[in-house]
Amino acid sequence: MRPTSPLRPTRDTVSTIREDGSHRFLFPADAPGPFRRARRAAALVLIAVYLSLPWITVGGYPAVFLDVARRRFHLFGLVLAAQDLGLLFFLISGLGFGLFFVTALFGRIWCGWACPQTVFLEHVFRRVERWIDGDAVRRRQWAEAPTTASKILRRAAKHVVYLVLAATIAHLFLAYFVSIPALWGMMRVAPGENWGAFVFIAAATGIVYFDFAWFREQLCVILCPYGRLQSALTDDHTLVIGYDWARGEPRGKLGDAGAGDCVACDRCVQVCPTGIDIRQGLQLECIGCAACIDACDEVMLRVGRAAGLIRYDSLSGLTGRRKRWLRPRTVLYGALLLAGTVVAAWTIAGVRPAVLSVTRMVGAPYYVDGDLVRNQFLVRLVNKRAEPAALAVTVRGLPAGAVVRGLEAPVTVGPLGEEIRPLIVQEPRSRYASPFTFEVEARDPRGSFTLRRAMEFLGPEHIPAPAAPPASVAPVNPNEPSRAHP
Amino acid sequence: MSPTPTPQPTEPDVRPHAFDGIREFNQRLPNWWLFTLYGAILFWIGYWSYFEWLRVAPEGPQRVELAMTRIEAEKLAATAALRIDDKSLWAMSRNTVFVDDGRQIFNANCVACHLQSLRGKSENPLAIGPDLTDQIWIHGGHPTDVYRTVTQGVPEKGMPTWGPVLGTKRITEAVAYVLSYHQEGEPIVDASKIVPTK
Repeated sequence: MRPTSPLRPTRDTVSTIREDGSHRFLFPADAPGPFRRARRAAALVLIAVYLSLPWITVGGYPAVFLDVARRRFHLFGLVLAAQDLGLLFFLISGLGFGLFFVTALFGRIWCGWACPQTVFLEHVFRRVERWIDGDAVRRRQWAEAPTTASKILRRAAKHVVYLVLAATIAHLFLAYFVSIPALWGMMRVAPGENWGAFVFIAAATGIVYFDFAWFREQLCVILCPYGRLQSALTDDHTLVIGYDWARGEPRGKLGDAGAGDCVACDRCVQVCPTGIDIRQGLQLECIGCAACIDACDEVMLRVGRAAGLIRYDSLSGLTGRRKRWLRPRTVLYGALLLAGTVVAAWTIAGVRPAVLSVTRMVGAPYYVDGDLVRNQFLVRLVNKRAEPAALAVTVRGLPAGAVVRGLEAPVTVGPLGEEIRPLIVQEPRSRYASPFTFEVEARDPRGSFTLRRAMEFLGPEHIPAPAAPPASVAPVNPNEPSRAHP
Repeated sequence: MSPTPTPQPTEPDVRPHAFDGIREFNQRLPNWWLFTLYGAILFWIGYWSYFEWLRVAPEGPQRVELAMTRIEAEKLAATAALRIDDKSLWAMSRNTVFVDDGRQIFNANCVACHLQSLRGKSENPLAIGPDLTDQIWIHGGHPTDVYRTVTQGVPEKGMPTWGPVLGTKRITEAVAYVLSYHQEGEPIVDASKIVPTK
């Protein structure tokens, strides 16, 4: 690695890309403080959630199990099937509305506190780096040091730990899609037996390793569309991390006459994980990690000045004007988020573990056979559960005298299976006056859910007998060779 | 809104053009970004050579045709395994495995009209379907006639076209079950051959 001159960020260039286009590797210093403590606590909780979800069992399945192979999605006991794909709308629109709302209020709080990139980089990989190579100054020295046995050993140890961590993250990621027992089963046999999974794990490990070992802030600064999108959603009243220009300028040493509060120690630049100078104003590269707040507060307290020269505030608040939380933007985004959440909750509450559909059989809409008018239907039952389901199908709302044929016994539908049954409804012709609606109902014998479909019974227009049988108007199957029927 | 940035030590390198007052920095792209571009160009050379220049791979319509032929071949193989002619249908009707499978399919799909006994209108005049156990065959008495009647249906009478619903295998089994109530060579009345007198 080539020697690095001290970072002098400007707003005209990306400070992590050198003039020759190479990646300028950063050695951000550690800034202890209340925000780092809070951020680390949040990160540990998030990592714990990520690592433990595939191990926790709810209702016989992992708490979150996206079983793509069988098209079943288990979410904390809720089982969704491919038929529930429509719910994805709420996930995507919910992410959108949530992002709009949170960003309008708190800026890029996601990036600094919850994004997996930041969580794993700041609280796992950089800690490993610090543990093996030392603090920022030592890390820079190691990078610039000539290649020696000690350096090679240190580098090898660091990258082996990186690879192990990357492989762990990749395996846990796959576990969300195949479950831990299946993953363990695949890990214990030769790679060739689960070729696809092996290639996936190898590629994912490689990508995670590359990202956290080398790519790092380039993802946030150049690749991530989410960060760009968030930058477009903020306004003057959004909470961002900013430098109190009026209080800090002009910068000067302690004791300089007429100098502001900023002592030009450049500590905020040294700790920045994306290599910017926050004193140049709000910038696209800022991931809102609050490291510069902790760094500046520490210096301010040491020189006996008030903390908060760099702080969480809105651009409005930083220039001494009033900050408003309630704005047309936040009200609208909040209302959209609330409406989406309510509709999503209502829809998810209506998800049933089976599907009932009733269609009219191919052929004439009705048949007249002697004194009976007949309608023929096909009842289709889909079982979304991984265990057999017995469904009792009944017909309700028929006039007295009507007869139902078919579906006398409960229908057993195999695991994740589908069954089709004929259902025939007959009504005495003398009683039939006009089309009427009835209901087909499928009921789980345990009474846990009921599915209903409304259908219409059709018959001949006029009652006066003897009309021509509908055979003459029935559509003829074009595949049927024309033959005489008795 | 945001305060003016710290004065820059050097004038930034700016391209000569300007559009609506917007000017462009003359800065180098990240090398890793350029590598993705070069990688894409290399991929394009390989892709173009394979599909357009050397034409090693079959082209779009050809590939569709190949895939369709393969699917059709599989279907034909499946049907060929179940030869549908009078002789093999009779043979199936003597095979208990076939007949048992056929009984399940019949009970799930056919009893609504033909009743569990297969006797239909003979057992109950109000039933919908005709008797399948007697020797009167309304739509032809050969096993292949029965198979065709089930597959294509008799829309005028309300017999559904079961072909798309059940598929070849299950229809064959159901026909074998019906035939198990009959004997090869028994005297039959083929009503489809009788000219209607009405």
